[in-house]
This record gives sequence, C-alpha cells and structure tokens, in this order.
Amino acid sequence: MKKTNILDVVSRKLSPFILLFGVYLVTFGHISPGGGFQGGVALASGLLLILLAQGPAVLKRTFSLEGISLVEVFGYGLFLLAGLAGFLWGVGFLSPILLPPRTIFILNIVIGAKVGAGITLICWHLFLEGEDSE
Amino acid sequence: MIALLLIALLFLVSLVGIILSKNLIRKVMALNMLNSAVIILFIFFGSLKGTHAPILVGDETDIVDPVPQALMLTAIVVGICVTALALGFIYKLYERYGTTELQEIEQQVHRNDQ
Amino acid sequence: MNRVFQGAVLLLFSFLLLASVLVEKEPKEYPKTYFLERGTHETGAVNLVTALYLAYRAYDTLGETIVLIGAVTGVLVLVGREK
Repeated sequence: MKKTNILDVVSRKLSPFILLFGVYLVTFGHISPGGGFQGGVALASGLLLILLAQGPAVLKRTFSLEGISLVEVFGYGLFLLAGLAGFLWGVGFLSPILLPPRTIFILNIVIGAKVGAGITLICWHLFLEGEDSE
Repeated sequence: MIALLLIALLFLVSLVGIILSKNLIRKVMALNMLNSAVIILFIFFGSLKGTHAPILVGDETDIVDPVPQALMLTAIVVGICVTALALGFIYKLYERYGTTELQEIEQQVHRNDQ
Repeated sequence: MNRVFQGAVLLLFSFLLLASVLVEKEPKEYPKTYFLERGTHETGAVNLVTALYLAYRAYDTLGETIVLIGAVTGVLVLVGREK
C-alpha cells in the first residue's frame, strides 16, 4: 500500500495539538476532569503518531530515546522523594505537606510524565522491534 | 439490568475466546477484553446512586461514588502492562518457531522431543 | 463426549455468573460521604478522584509506577535487539 500525502500532512499538523491537550489534562488535573494518568496517555499518543507516520528519525530530533528513559526512571525517584519528604516533616509517608494544592499539582505532573514516557517506550520497542534502539 | 447482562456477555465471550482460540494474538486480545469487562463492572456498580460527576464545582452534593474510579485507573495501567508483556512473549515464540498458531507450535515441540 | 462436558461446564459457569451479577444490592456509602465532606478541605483538590489517588491512596499510585518500570524492562529484554 502506497503511503499518501494525507498521513504525512495530518500527522505533522495534528501532533502538537495532541501534545498540548495532554499537557492541559495533566496540569488542570485537580480542578477539571483529567489527571496524571489520562494526560500521560494523551501525551504518549501524540508522540506515537509522529513515530508511526514519519519514522523514528524524525522523533529523535526532538525527543531522544535516552531522554524518555531518563524521564521514566527519575519519575519514580521524584515520587519516592515526595513520600520521604513527608517522612522528614514528621507527618507520615506520602501525605500532603506543602500548601494544599501544591503537592497534588507537582505529583500530577510527575505521574503524567512518567506514564507518558512508559507507554511511549513500550510501544516504541514493540513497534520497531529494536531495529533502531541503541 | 440490561447493562449487567451486557457486561456478563462481554465477560463470557472473552473467556470463551481465551479458551477456544487457536491463534496466540487472539488470545491476548481476549485477555485485554476480559480486563475491560471487569473494570466496567466496578465502575457501573459505583454509579448506581448519584447523578453528578465527582468534581465539586459549586454546591453539588449528589455525586457518584469516586472510590471505584480512582482504583480502576491503576487497574487499567496494570492491564496495559500485562498485554505488553504477553505480546513480548509472542514475539519470542515467533522468533523461535516461526508461527503464531498454537497447533503448529505443539507439533514442532513434539517433533523436537522425539 | 469431551465437547459435551466442556459445554455443560461452560453453561453452569455462565448461569452462576449471571445469578451473582444480576442481584442489585443497595450500596452503603460511608467512604463517599467522608470524601465528600472532607476531601477538598484536606487536600485542596476540587476533583475528588485526583484527591483520592494522589493523597488518600498515593501508595497504590507508587506501586503502579513500579509496575510500569517492570513492564518497560520486560519488553526491553524480550524484544530489544543488540546492534
């Protein structure tokens, strides 16, 4: 099946809006419907649209594979640090310590980045079968 | 009432699909559908009382139950991870035996044993 | 004979499943009223579901991040190819 121009044009024009919508879902997660998980999956689908329609070389110009892996691993570390910070403050593991919406806001962003990076990595390796990973 | 019948039908069809499928990829798809049926069942039982979404804008007090929704978010992500690992296993089997049909894999295993 | 036995077991299981699912019980609402009254004041989030999975049940979210790391590592081991 020949690749037509429609996929090329639509994927390049639509993908930044999908990423923007994902960022909106993550950052406004404590006021309107959304949150970390939903926004993370929207971010992952924005990245995967470019990966499938343009190829991995175009995606590596902005988001490298090592960068996404680092976001994935450090997301877990940040979440653990947030929990241990509650420990040090004397309140208990993983309870909100800063002024009321701040902890949940930061944790939403961390979860959004981590879920987005995780699902992008899973689908990258499954779709491309390791032919481009170093 | 009819919603519960549909959810039970989805569960049964997925279970029959896992047991009776001869292609491995169809088994994994049926496993994912089974996961979805259970998640929908939990959220349905949480929505029986109440009319509004659990977001307190204004003075809403007649909300649905938010607890099953928060628990099922994690369940959805765990379902994705199980499906991804199952597809990874199918890839390894395809590399080793050259097919994704269950009966041909069994035949090759029997021939290797003899 | 084997097919008949399998069909009978499947029909029995489906009848049990339908009987257990079609009984609609009145749900008790203690957690819902607790979170309705005190959720916004204690955590500062208007979205109750976000307040639940990030403040009252943050441990489950931590475990879910561990599951994601495990899945990514597993897929990398199974499918990744050395250059």
